[in-house]
Amino acid sequence: MKQSWFFYFFSKSVSQRKGRVVIASLSIMLAVAVVTGLLGITSGIKEKLGSELKAYGANLIVSSGSGGFLDYDALQAISKLDGVENVSGHVFGMAFINNESIEIIGLDIGSLKETGWRLHGKWPLNEREILAGINLKDALQLETGKAVALSGENGIMEFIISGFLERGGAEDNALIVSLPHAWELLSIDKKLSVVLVRGRAGELAGISGNIEKTVAGTGVKTLRQVAVAEESLLKKIQLLLVLVTVVVLFAAMVSIMSTMGANVLERREEIGLMKAIGATRNNIRLFYFSEAVLTGAAGGAAGFIMGYLFTQAVSWGAFGSFIDIPLYLPALSVAAGLVISLVASHFPVVDALKYNPAVILREE
Amino acid sequence: MTNNKSFIQVRNLVKEYKTAYALRGVSMTVEKGQWINIMGPSGSGKSTLLNIIGGLDNSTSGDVIIDSTDVEALDEDHLAIFRREQIGFIFQQSHLIPYLTAVENVMLAQYFHSMADEEEAGEALKRVGLGQRLHHRPSQLSGGEQQRICIARALINSPGILLADEPTGNLDRDNTEIILELLDSIHREDHFTIVLVTHDPFVSKWGDRVLQMEDGHIVGDEFIKERVKGA
Ligand SMILES: Nc1ncnc2c1ncn2[C@@H]1O[C@H](COP(=O)(O)OP(=O)(O)OP(=O)(O)O)[C@@H](O)[C@H]1O
Ligand SMILES: [Mg+2]
Repeated sequence: MKQSWFFYFFSKSVSQRKGRVVIASLSIMLAVAVVTGLLGITSGIKEKLGSELKAYGANLIVSSGSGGFLDYDALQAISKLDGVENVSGHVFGMAFINNESIEIIGLDIGSLKETGWRLHGKWPLNEREILAGINLKDALQLETGKAVALSGENGIMEFIISGFLERGGAEDNALIVSLPHAWELLSIDKKLSVVLVRGRAGELAGISGNIEKTVAGTGVKTLRQVAVAEESLLKKIQLLLVLVTVVVLFAAMVSIMSTMGANVLERREEIGLMKAIGATRNNIRLFYFSEAVLTGAAGGAAGFIMGYLFTQAVSWGAFGSFIDIPLYLPALSVAAGLVISLVASHFPVVDALKYNPAVILREE
Repeated sequence: MTNNKSFIQVRNLVKEYKTAYALRGVSMTVEKGQWINIMGPSGSGKSTLLNIIGGLDNSTSGDVIIDSTDVEALDEDHLAIFRREQIGFIFQQSHLIPYLTAVENVMLAQYFHSMADEEEAGEALKRVGLGQRLHHRPSQLSGGEQQRICIARALINSPGILLADEPTGNLDRDNTEIILELLDSIHREDHFTIVLVTHDPFVSKWGDRVLQMEDGHIVGDEFIKERVKGA
């Protein structure tokens, strides 16, 4: 009964000042969204570091040192090297469907059967069949068994989609064709963009050296090097995001402090009166901290949703796939909202507790 | 309650501000159930005295003992508890919460005291003649009606003392009379102690005793032989 009347009074008091409460929640939402986005992206990217290689079961990536193409012969040469268990050549490029540019990945489609990626549909059975990334299905309204016209450097080629691949990587947005088709579409003569190599564990440094010696002008990176390179970029992004976060958190605190300050000032008379009719300091704290909790929790929850969407948008843009965010993130976001709100409310509430009711209540 | 004859004892009360003295050594006693009016010119220290008795303000020196509690010795939270148990306040401004209805304003005082009880709060408002106005907001009520809510709010927890600072200061003659008649009839039934501050001689026709203050001193103390009865 005592509690329920408190909530009744509290809700009346808050709805009295809806606008302010909403603005306070919004500023918390922004701050929490940035924090959530930062954590979501960071943890998501970590998970994806080197994942492009892992997805093919490779641990070395060979590309042309100069940034151009590799000769197809390199594939043969590399496959014969000691310690090399498996190789696959990939060529990347762009083609068009109805004037929309689509990424093309040329590779040995048969080798994908071992990767364990999800296939919706069938593997290509003949020359005219290709695979599409799952995201293209809705984006381009593709269907299995239907023909698509791809225009490339040499004019238009027709294919039939036999199935949709799903990995959660860049492939989900690409068309997967055989190497010969890719060469024809891109009008390049037996070239590769990269060769992915699975080398025997423990011998990667030696194998890398051999590859660089055997095929002139190549650069070889290990899975670990790829991951480290991506990570150092990530660190720079992280630093930037941390700076942004500090600024946004500070701004949110100031905003809450001034909202709460205005709240307390506006309600001087009410506070004075409550003291006069016997409210203890804890009674008064309860009112203001309840409002801070409401603002913080609402802002934190909204901020989580916004930060989550932001994270996924960034991930989609960067990787063409979504990120699994850590499970603690929603709880952490709400907690962050509460901390911001409570800390920022502390000072105005201390002021309110100091008000001398005798002085306030004689004011006109 | 004790059977101490002097329910309120004020001894040598001094209130000093940086620039001036508000009270320069005030001593007085009030018996339980007595209705005492404090009169005096503006700035003579009436409100200051009332606020210190009610524990809303501190003195510079001196003692205030109410029902054998040394009010000056209480810390802030114990003062709050003392107020909710022992004191009802009425001010010149009604200080009602604008977004609560009449009955909810009374319930707020119940809430801080113990437990909000709408029925009881409604009864209290009926007693001050606002039975038809329970769910009106203060802005929908006249000044006199607002002061009647304040009476209900001040008395809802059956305090030992009602402290009223110019309770009719914003009201016209007719409403002043209504309020004082109301207080008088409730006082006759419930026998709480009233300390009422006013500078209006008309108001001091009610009550048992009039204290005169001037410049922080008590300069007069007289009992009214015949208390006004009815209107
Ligand atoms: N916060 C304060 N700071 C300085 N002086 C004060 C303060 N509060 C009151 N005073 C002074 O104390 C004296 C007594 O004030 P008080 O309010 O008790 O007078 P009062 O008798 O109630 O007057 P009124 O009839 O106008 O209400 C006045 O001279 C006033 O100026
Ligand atoms: Mg006064």
